[in-house]
Parts: sequence; structure tokens; C-alpha cells
Amino acid sequence: MDPFCEHEQHLTRRQLFGRTSKGIGVMALASLLNPRLFAEVANGPGSAPAFGGLPGLPHFAPKAKRVIFLHQSGAPSQIDLYDYKPKLMDIAGTELPDSIRKGQRITGMTSGQNSLPVAPSIFKFNRAGENGTWISELLPHTAKIIDDITIVKTVNTDAINHDPAITFIQTGFQQPGRPSMGSWVTYGLGSENHNLPAFVVLISQANALNRDQPLFTRLWSSGFLPSKYQGVRFRASGDPVLFLANPDGIDAETRRAMLDGLDELNHITEKEYGDPEISARISQYEMAYRMQSSVPELTDLSKEPASTFELYGPDSRKPGTYAANCLMARRLAERGVRFIQLYHRGWDQHNDLPRDLGLQCKGTDQASAALITDLKQRGLLDDTLVIWGGEFGRTVYCQGHLTKTNYGRDHHPRCFAMWFAGGGIKRGQVIGETDDFSYNVVSDPVPIHDVQATVLYCLGVDHTRLTYKFQGRHFRLTDVAGNVNKAMLA
Amino acid sequence: MIASRFLPALLLGGALYTSGATSPQIDFDRQVRPILSDNCFTCHGPDEKHRMAGLHFDTKEGAFGKPGVIVPGDSAHSKMYLKISNPNVALRMPPPYSNRKLTQAQIETIKNWIDSGAKWETHWSFLPPKRPDLPGVQNESWVRTPIDRFVLAKLEKEGLHPSPEADKATLLRRVTFDLIGLPPTPAELDAFLADKSPQAYEKVVDRLLASPHYGERMAVPWLDLARYADTHGYHIDSAREMWPWRDWVIKAFNNNMPYDEFTVNQIAGDLLPNATQSQIIATGFNRNHMINFEGGAIPEEYQNEYIVDRIEATSTTWLGVTLGCARCHDHKYDPFTQKDFYSFGAFFNGIPEQGLDGQKGNAKPFLQLPSKQQTEMKDLLLKAIKDKDAEIGAAQAKWEQQQREMPVADITSGLLAEYRFEDSLGPARIVTGKLTYTDGRVGRAANLEEEPQLSLGEVGAFDSRKPFTIALWLKPEGPSGMAVLQRYAKSPKSGPGYEVALDYCSKEGCNIIVRMRSNGAESGTEMKSQRGVTLHEWSHVAVSYDGSGFAKGVQIYINGRSVPATIAGDKIPAVSFAAGELQIGNKEWGTAFKGELGDLRFYDRRLYANEALELGLLNPLHRVVEVAAERRTPDQQKWLRKYFLDETANASEKQLETDYKSLSKGLDELNKEIPSTMIMSEMAKPRDTFILARGDYRNRGEQVFPNTPAVLPPLPRDAPRNRLTLAKWIVDPGNPLTARVAVNHFWQMYFGIGLVKTAEDFGSQGDPPSNQELLDWLATEFIRTHWDVKAMQRLIVMSAVYRQSSEVSPELLEKDPENRLLARGPRFRLPAEMIRDNALTLAGLLNDKIGGPSVFPYQPPGLWEEMAFGGDFSAQKYVQSHGADLYRRSMYTFWKRSVPFPSLNTFDAPDREKCTARRTVTNTPLQALVLMNDPTYIEAARAFAERDLAEAGPTETDRIRHAFRLAMDRDPSQQEFTILDNLYKKQLARYEADQKAAAKVITVGESKPNAKIPPPELAAWTLVTSTILNMDETITRN
Repeated sequence: MDPFCEHEQHLTRRQLFGRTSKGIGVMALASLLNPRLFAEVANGPGSAPAFGGLPGLPHFAPKAKRVIFLHQSGAPSQIDLYDYKPKLMDIAGTELPDSIRKGQRITGMTSGQNSLPVAPSIFKFNRAGENGTWISELLPHTAKIIDDITIVKTVNTDAINHDPAITFIQTGFQQPGRPSMGSWVTYGLGSENHNLPAFVVLISQANALNRDQPLFTRLWSSGFLPSKYQGVRFRASGDPVLFLANPDGIDAETRRAMLDGLDELNHITEKEYGDPEISARISQYEMAYRMQSSVPELTDLSKEPASTFELYGPDSRKPGTYAANCLMARRLAERGVRFIQLYHRGWDQHNDLPRDLGLQCKGTDQASAALITDLKQRGLLDDTLVIWGGEFGRTVYCQGHLTKTNYGRDHHPRCFAMWFAGGGIKRGQVIGETDDFSYNVVSDPVPIHDVQATVLYCLGVDHTRLTYKFQGRHFRLTDVAGNVNKAMLA
Repeated sequence: MIASRFLPALLLGGALYTSGATSPQIDFDRQVRPILSDNCFTCHGPDEKHRMAGLHFDTKEGAFGKPGVIVPGDSAHSKMYLKISNPNVALRMPPPYSNRKLTQAQIETIKNWIDSGAKWETHWSFLPPKRPDLPGVQNESWVRTPIDRFVLAKLEKEGLHPSPEADKATLLRRVTFDLIGLPPTPAELDAFLADKSPQAYEKVVDRLLASPHYGERMAVPWLDLARYADTHGYHIDSAREMWPWRDWVIKAFNNNMPYDEFTVNQIAGDLLPNATQSQIIATGFNRNHMINFEGGAIPEEYQNEYIVDRIEATSTTWLGVTLGCARCHDHKYDPFTQKDFYSFGAFFNGIPEQGLDGQKGNAKPFLQLPSKQQTEMKDLLLKAIKDKDAEIGAAQAKWEQQQREMPVADITSGLLAEYRFEDSLGPARIVTGKLTYTDGRVGRAANLEEEPQLSLGEVGAFDSRKPFTIALWLKPEGPSGMAVLQRYAKSPKSGPGYEVALDYCSKEGCNIIVRMRSNGAESGTEMKSQRGVTLHEWSHVAVSYDGSGFAKGVQIYINGRSVPATIAGDKIPAVSFAAGELQIGNKEWGTAFKGELGDLRFYDRRLYANEALELGLLNPLHRVVEVAAERRTPDQQKWLRKYFLDETANASEKQLETDYKSLSKGLDELNKEIPSTMIMSEMAKPRDTFILARGDYRNRGEQVFPNTPAVLPPLPRDAPRNRLTLAKWIVDPGNPLTARVAVNHFWQMYFGIGLVKTAEDFGSQGDPPSNQELLDWLATEFIRTHWDVKAMQRLIVMSAVYRQSSEVSPELLEKDPENRLLARGPRFRLPAEMIRDNALTLAGLLNDKIGGPSVFPYQPPGLWEEMAFGGDFSAQKYVQSHGADLYRRSMYTFWKRSVPFPSLNTFDAPDREKCTARRTVTNTPLQALVLMNDPTYIEAARAFAERDLAEAGPTETDRIRHAFRLAMDRDPSQQEFTILDNLYKKQLARYEADQKAAAKVITVGESKPNAKIPPPELAAWTLVTSTILNMDETITRN
């Protein structure tokens, strides 16, 4: 059923408001403005029962109740951030050996390049955390939470261009048409919040100076699932949710009066035709009305203490930045939103990598780490799964002219780094090893479908059993592949 | 919701198809095959490669080939039955890991089937429809059309009665939305109510079928199937132009083009003898797929995706089969092999298209469609441009003569060596690779397209303490940064040396880098010019050094003019560059030079500005002028013209150029205005087609040739294997699928659900038809009437079934929640486009112009921009339309695939990335927000209110009744009236107290409010009409 469940809301509405017209407005307003109600929300959704999911789900006891996916669009360079390759310094500028490339197809951007010279990272790596994990100097804040996360250095994909690769990691298939991960999850597990959508999308713009890769609504679309499972984009400018605010000149009281009239009129039709869609529609209008209060309450950061902004960094005061979106992700998690999908643009460093990767990290590192710290402080990390990563990796060889101070990297599908934290994930470990060129996986490969299977597993879902019949076939997020990666799990 | 609704429907389905209460006669095709298909075929189905235990139940041979598996009449000795009913759950089929489980009822069904003789039948949809006899019914008087007999016979068997006919107003509203997608006008309502003749309804139907809006309404579901959109879809998702094809569809429906012709034109109109422009435009159906040009993507990969998409869209649209499931392996459920899939694809593999295309709009092949006026204008412009060109040519010829008479400066002093690349290397040699020669700016040039490495030996053995100059012509062809020439003792990584290199090319150009090093990569000096040479064009570069030991002493000249440079490390180390050799194309460090080189010179002195100008500009100029005009290369002609106009022309000559440019710009603009549309055509020799293992373009297997799936009737033996033959095969009356699939699409428009619910899948995993006899009768009727589309619509809407009231009792709702038995009329929410069109119509705002380029109605700002790539590509910024274009019918809204128009998308309009055979209908709070707050609807409410006040009587009662009647086609009940009346009174009081608020409400949108109506009154009425626009009844076709 619906993330904005029909039946359940119908009951709620009846309980709350009854069926007579007078007084609905007052009661609804009172319940929405009651600070205790919000206090309960702020205390966490722990006890809120889910509604609108499939019967029989979750398949087993979940570790995570919700997901925050910090997608870094454009593909961050694993070699410059997480996959430390000190030996490359000795062979800088030499040709990538064929024994390493092994005929790997490369994109049209470097396939015309006669030479594929090895470009070591110019960034320093430091050891961090209890295990002395190597991490780039560009990520000082992530270094501080390294004991809370599992880094997987051996994620790999089949796609070598942005569109198919990002579509793949989001939907399990390179070509359009499949539901996104968030849609699958809300379709299977339903919602835990009556006042907000179950699947929310937040976008932030690049810090890098070179042009960003585009995004597409396909990435959070419901594919062949009913369209109500698509992600709802929360925006930083204008209405956070499209058409949320009443037009100028229509205040909440007028809206309530109009809705009271509308509800009554629709009840008359319902009585006449007996069509259950009508009562569903009445509930949807009430949900819309509640969203008119719950969303502004959500996006209003004025009650956040100064310490919050210190934690997430000064950008978190600027709506629409990655830092502000990370903070928003925490607030959405607190309110029991099931799937919170962030996209941060600008990680496509074909050239000027040292400059632009630095800018990207500066724009994101503190907030990513703050989100983990913040969730942990609030006891939410235990049942919130946080994912960080792009759609593929970047090549060890240089795109364009290599100098000691400047280089670029092309797309690389065979290995890249992602990290995971929270609900169900082991703390403080690194999974997988790549070769000396960060080119091939040496041990513990984690294909994209395994990532997806593992995410669903943390949510208590067997990825082979969350299916939807379309065109005669029982489709699933992991297509025909995927294994749960047990090593990632706590 | 899906799951819970689906189950009772299936159970109900089971009950429907039993022929009587006493005999447990099992219908294999409808009762047994779906169980086998869904639960067993994955391992025991058509896919041979993944078959387990060599057993399969998809064919008769498979099911009965092995003795003892199924023993007809004896389930107790049928291994298959014993397996599925094994009391030991661990051993039972299907196995636990398959995630499939048979219910007790399903096991019983199979048992009964075996015990009653295990009769086998081919899947129903692969056998041609047989025209059934019209069934007898008890209630003869209810029957209006043959359709009614089939439905009534079933109802009577179920002990149900049809519902009474809907009241006239409801019926009018229903059939008007269904046939033209718009509400009836008050005059139409009055006329219909007043018409007491028995033909009143029929007259309405005929009027609607003749309306030009009929074609628009019929087109919308077709656009979903055809995945029609205004952008390319992948990645940057820039604009394309396919509306001429869209308009063709509208016209075809309006002209009642027979469905077979409609089909042939779209699949193969270009191959028809003497194909008309219109028939060629029609082939756009299979160019509507997404197209990619992401930088770095591999053309073959996408070329293959386009073919795959055509296979899927064509097979889904016309055949209602999921052939696409056989892309990676043989179909798991239906008898389609992977070979069938690629053989079908071979029909579409001869299009002269590119894997990556569409940067500038339509991808090849496309057709320009100038109007008569545009053709005339284009001819005029072309002539004017030619004339202007001749005038400039005459002026230039005069100037050239003067140039020939001017003295040429001496640039030979201090010249140590010169390489002219006149078809030989002279003292230089090729180290590796291949070198060819070509025309340069002056004389000949070396073509290093294939990146050979050259050694020029001892030349350039300079010393950093003495002056020198290196000068050359170059034309870079690779965007990567690359060394042009270098001289190092050992390698750039160690020892002294210098190089001239190009930086990574940007749109502004490729900057020149000069390095002089004493000891490895980080030593010495690096200079980078702040302006660069242009990619793919000839430029002259001179690097002059005065021997001072400082970078300031180095001057970079481009085309004879000094350019500033940024310097890293001013001090040039005192070092000799004698060791090593001068190399071109060494790729030890980065990328080799790719492009052309000409007239490479080495001087042992610095060059002064006037000398650089002579070398880089005047000298070549003089040399080109010397070449007879007719023997100049196009490149030389272009360059000389540019030089003449930019550098020396007088005011009147410059004016000629200005005129020429504006004329050319006019031509460009005109070309942009001339619409075009993508089409199909055939290459002289089609590409070869191969089976691709796992569907991957890199894994070519056996070669295949155009053919249709083996399970369906074969192609005529002698017909050429091309799209035209395919198209004719699709509409051959012997094709078991085409007519059924088409009438099912139509049925779905009127009843919300098709007779086959899975309109996209008539295969064994699809929903069995709720009334196969009716489906088959309609299909044969469609063929019998020569595919008369309008006649088929007429037949359906004239039926008693269609005309029933939609009121439903709780009992019937429980028995038949989806209304598959059709004991009541269809009631469902309007499709996205009609919701908006209805509001605009009620408001009197609708601009009902048909066809033309898509438009850009109100959309919240930033929606595209936040996600777009940007740059110079089209459809990256949303530029809203103004005036009448804001109120066009919703089907003309610009359809951007990566960011669908929000208010349509919210009401389940598909993104059109793929062929869509049916839309889901959801019910969400976001829909409520759109209707309550989208400026479109607030503006419409205000205009609706103005219209109400203008048309209705003077009293509140008149006005409420009129507005209500406009939207609902009926009068409000007393209760309804009171609700709206109270709302109005309350809001009037509120807005009288707050005039500012009133002014705001009535100024949403671009149309101006009627100044004669007091704002509080208009605002209060706007609230009333907005409430009406939000009512369930308004957005429902009942």
C-alpha cells in the first residue's frame, strides 16, 4: 500500500476528527500544534508501528529501520581518498601495465589517449582509528569516525559511464525502467510516519569548479511500481515539497475551512457511489494538510542549538548545501522517514583533480562525519543505516597531461570505495583489497548487487523475496544476482 | 494494495471460469498453465540452458515426453504430482530456495487436471481468435450490442444483474471525456437532456467521434506506448523534436486511418512504394526511444540499446508479448528463444544512425519539414548570401593584388634549420609509427594523426644561457594535454632539457606550455600562455628566448602576436641542452602529439615582434595570396577571407561582412525554426546482427537474420526480410495477437482495466482474459470491419455495458472489487492530462489549438536547473511560456524525461522512458497539494469563478448552482449547496476584512482578474470554485 497509507489514515482521521464538520479544523489544528506531539516525534519513531508495507515483511528481525544514502554523484576518486597506494610514487608517469589493465574497456574520453601513465595521489594519507586505517588528508573529519564505519574498498560495477552506472547503483539495472532502491524499500516496508513521505530526496550542488554531472528523477522513480512509491524531492528554495504552501492570500484557517467543506462533499459522493477510492482521497487530503504543518516544522532549523551547526559546520546554516542536507537527513530520520536519499554533485574529476577533489571534500567531509556522530549521540545510529559512495571509481592512470601537481582521472568500474555505518553494520573495519594500482580487486569483491542485497538484509528483507510481478516476471532490486555480504555485518 | 487486490481477483477468476457448479472440469490453459508458468517454468520452462533435470512443462512434448511424469487420469502415479504434494516439505517442489510455493488449492487443481485426463492446450493467445457464436441470454431486452450478450451471459451464470443505465448527464460526461478528453459544454448538456429521441445518445457519440479532439484523446495512450517525449532521456537529456510525428498520430486517428495502415505506416512507412512525406513521418514511432551522447560512452553499447528498445516497444505495443525478456537468455515462461529476440531486432538494425548522437537536437536520420513560406525564405536567404559573398570576394581580390605588390621581409637570418615536411622528413627520421603528409597553412605539413614518434636528432641543441627561437605551425586534434616537441638528456623525469607542450584543451583553446629543466620534472621553469591555439585549426606558435636566464626573457607568439604567460619559477637554470635528441611524439610522460605540424624552424637568436608577425602572419599571407584563387584549399580560402576582413578591410568592406554574417545568422535561425522529425530509413547494406550472450553488446555469438518468433505464424516465404514485411505480418488477419491486443487497449480506455488486465503481457504469465469470448469476438470484428478504429470505439460506447450506472453495493464490491464482471459501469479517476484540461475548460482558459511544438506551462522555478548539466545544451533551463501557450491541452506540455512535468507526473503520467501499456492509478497527498496549490489550479479557479459570475444569475444560489453544474453536469443537492454556501459566506466575510489577502488570491497566474468584480467577492468565489475543482467527482469520470 501507500507510504502515505490510505486505510490507516482513514482510521486516524476518523478517530481524530470524527465525521461531522464543525470542529474538525480546531481539533486538527490543536493536534498539530500540540508541542507534545512534536516532542514525541523528536523522541524518535522507535515505537511507531509501520504501515503500508507488504504482509510478511520484514522477513526477519531488522537491524536497521531506515536508510540514509549519501550518494556522491560523479564518482569520487578512491585512490585519493580511501585506497592508499604508496608504491605508485615510484612508478609515477610510467605506462599502466597491460597485465593490470587486462583489456578492460575504457571510456571514449581516454581510449584515444595513446598513453595511460600512472598518476599517484598527491595527497598524504594518515592512519586513523583503533586499527590505524589509512585515510586521505582530505578527510580529517571522516578520520575521526573511522571506528564507526565499515569501509569497503572493493565495490565494483559493470558500467563505465555516469548514466548507466548511477542508474545501476540506484535501481539494480543499467537501463531505465526499474524502481529505485528507496521505492523498493518503501514498497516492501511501508512508512513509519503519518505526516511525511516515506522516501525523501535531497540534492546539493557541487563544490568543484568543473561542470557537474546531471541527475535524473529516474534515480528515485518507482519504475514499474505504482508511482506513489517514488521519492519525494525536498527542495531548499521555494516550497520544500512542490505545491506545499497555500497560495498567498489563503491562510491555514481558510484552507481548513475549504478542506472541511471538501471532506463533507466527498463523503456525500462516497455514500452515493460506495467507491473506496473516495475515502482514500479524503484521507490523502488530510495527509496533505498535515504535511503543510509537518514539513515546515521539519525544515525549520531555528530550534537547533548552536552546537548542531558547529558539529555540521557553518554550511549547515545555508539551505540546500550538503551540510544542511545532512542535518535535514538526521531530522528526517528522527521522524521515522524510511529512506533518505541525498545526492551531492560534482565528483567527476577528469581534470584538475587536486583542486576540485579538495573542494568537494571540504564541502562534505565534516557534514558526513557529523551525521554519524549526531545519529550516534541520539541513539539513532543503531537502527539507521548510513551509506556513503559514488557510482564507480576513478582510474589510476592520468587523463590529460600529467604533472606532479595536476592530473585528472577517468571512470573506473573495477573497484571503488564506499562506506557503511549504523544499523546492522560492523564498526571499524576495512573490507577488501585491491592491487597496487587500485585497478583490480585482489580479495573480497563486492558487486553492486551485493551492496543492495546487504542493505535490504540490514532492513530485515531477503532480497530474493522482495519481488514485483511486471511483464510476467518477478522483478527484484538485485535482478538475478546479489549475495548478502556477511563480513559487513555486525 | 496491489498484492491484496490481486489475490481476490485471481480467486474470483478461478470461480468465473468453471463451467458449472457440479463438474470440476479443469481448463488447462486458464487454470493449470498459469500455475505451472509462475511456479515451475523458471527451471522447467522454455529456457533450455537453465532447465533442471531435463524436465519442462511449457510444451506438450515436454510435459508428456518422459513416461511417468504426468500419467493422464492417474495423479497417484504421476511423479510430477507426487513431487508437488510431497508431505516432506523439504523435498517438495517447487524447492524452498525458489521462493515459490503452491497453495493447497493449486495442488488440487493440478490433481484434478491430471485425474480428468490431463488435456493439453496451446496457450490461448498464440492461437488465432475464433469468432464465437453470440451467446443466448435471458434478459434479451437489455442487449444493445453483441458485446452485451457476452457480458450478460456471464452475469446470468453468476446470478448477477447488470446495473441500470446511468442518468443522462453522467453518461454524457462519461462519454465526452472518453472520446475527446474534455467535459461537455453546458449547451451540449442542455441539448442532450432536451433530446428525448431514442437516437439522442447515438447522435452524441457520432458528434464526438467527428470532433478534432477525438484524435488528441486517442493519441495520448498511444504516446505512452510509443514512449513519445521532447527530450533524449539519457544523461544530459537535451531537446529533440518529434511533435510532427505526434501530430501525425492525432491526424491519423481523426481521419480514422484503419489500424492496419496505421501500423504499417509507423513500422515501415518509408519502405512503401512512393512513400509520402506523411508516411515517412509516421516511422518516428521507432525513433522515440531514448538516445545518448554522454561523453566517453561507447557507441556500440547504445546502438544496441536502441535496437533492444525497438524490439520491446514494437512487441509490447502490437503483439502484447514480453519478447524483451529473451534478451539475455531464452524466455523463462513463453516460447520465445534468445534467437527469436535478436532475429526480431535484425529488422531494426539497418537504420543509418549513430550510437551516440543528438547533441544538437534530432539524431540522424531526420527529416526537415519547412512550410512553403520557410522554403521561399530559405531560397531568398541563400541567394542573398551568395551575392554578398561575391561582393566580398571582389573587394578581397583587389586587396590581394595590393598584397602581391608589397615587399616581403627577410626572416632567414639566424635560421639554423627548417623542416617543411614536403612529403619527406629530410634529416629527421621516424622512430615508431606511421607518418603521412598533408597541406599546411604554408606548404605541406606532417600529419601525426596516428601519433608516430619522430627523431630530429641534433637540431635544437641550445644552451639556456644563449638566445634561441623555435617556431612552427600546428593543428592539434586531441583534446588531451600533450607534448609537441621535446629535447631531454634522458627523459623528462631526469636530467636537463626543454619542451613545448599543449595544455588540456578547453572551449577557449589549448594553452602553450614551455618548460626548461635542469634536473627532472620539478626543476627549472614552466610558462603557460594565457591564451591558446584553437583545437582543429592551424595556428602559428613561436617561442623566442633572449638568453637572459630569466623566464621573462621568453616570449610566446601565437599567430604572430605576443601572448602573456603565467610563470612558475622565473629563474632559468644555467644549463646546456646539448645532450639527447630532439623528439616529437615521445609519450613517455603523458600523451603523444596528435595533429598536424608544419614549417618547423630553429633560430639561434631571439625574434622581435615585427619578425614574429612576419613569420606567423604576413609571410603565410603572402604565400597564400600567391596561390591562384581557384587552387587554394578550403582552409586557405577561409583563413584568407578572415584575415582580410578582420585585419585590413575598410568600413564599407566591413559592412559587407556584417551583412553577410547577419544573413548567415538568419539562415541558421531559419534552419532552427524549420521543424524536423526523426524517421526510419535503411542503409544500403544493413548491419550484421548477432545473438549477444547475456545481452551484452561485447559478446557476439551466432549471426542471425530478420525473422519473427517461431511460435507465431511464419513470414511469407518469398517476401523480403525487411520492416515492411514485418509490418504486414503484424497486421495479417492470421496473426493471433494484433487484433486482440488492439481491442484490449481500447477496452482499457473505457473500463479502466482491459479484458486482459496485463495489457502488456498476453503470454503465460499474463492475466487470463476475464471474458475470452468477448475479446475474441471483438478482435474478429475489428478485422472484419477492416480495422475500422472509430467503428470499434462506437461499438463499445454504444453498448449497454458501457452505459451502466457505476453505483456499487457493498456486496457487489466484495464479490467483484475490480469490476471484471462488469455488472456496473466504470468509474475511475481521470488521467493526468484530463484533470488539468478539465480545470482549464471550466475556467474558460483552455486554448484548444491542435498540434505544433510543445509548450511550457507554469512550473516551480529551478526544477530543471538543480539537476541539469547545463552548458549550451538545450532543455537545461526551463523557459516558461506566456499568454495562450500557458493554457494549451496538457498533452502538448514539453515532456522532459529526466524531470517530468510535476503536476502531470503526480497524477501518474509516465516518464516515457520506456513503452508503457497501462498507467497505474494512485491516490496520494501530493495530488491533493497540486489541486489545492499549483498556480495552474488557483488561476483556473479564479477564472472559473469569473465565468460563473458572468454566466449565472445574480443570486448566490444561482451562482453556486451554476458553478456546480458546470463541473458536475448536475445540480447540487441541498446538502451540497449548503456546504458551498457556508463556505462562500464565511470566506466573503474574511476577505472583506482582509482586502490584501483577497487581492493576492485573485492575482495568481498571468491572466488578469476582472477588475469589475470586488476583490473580496472574487476571492471568496475562487475558494468555492477551487473546492469544486478539488472534489472527487470533478476529477473522476463516472
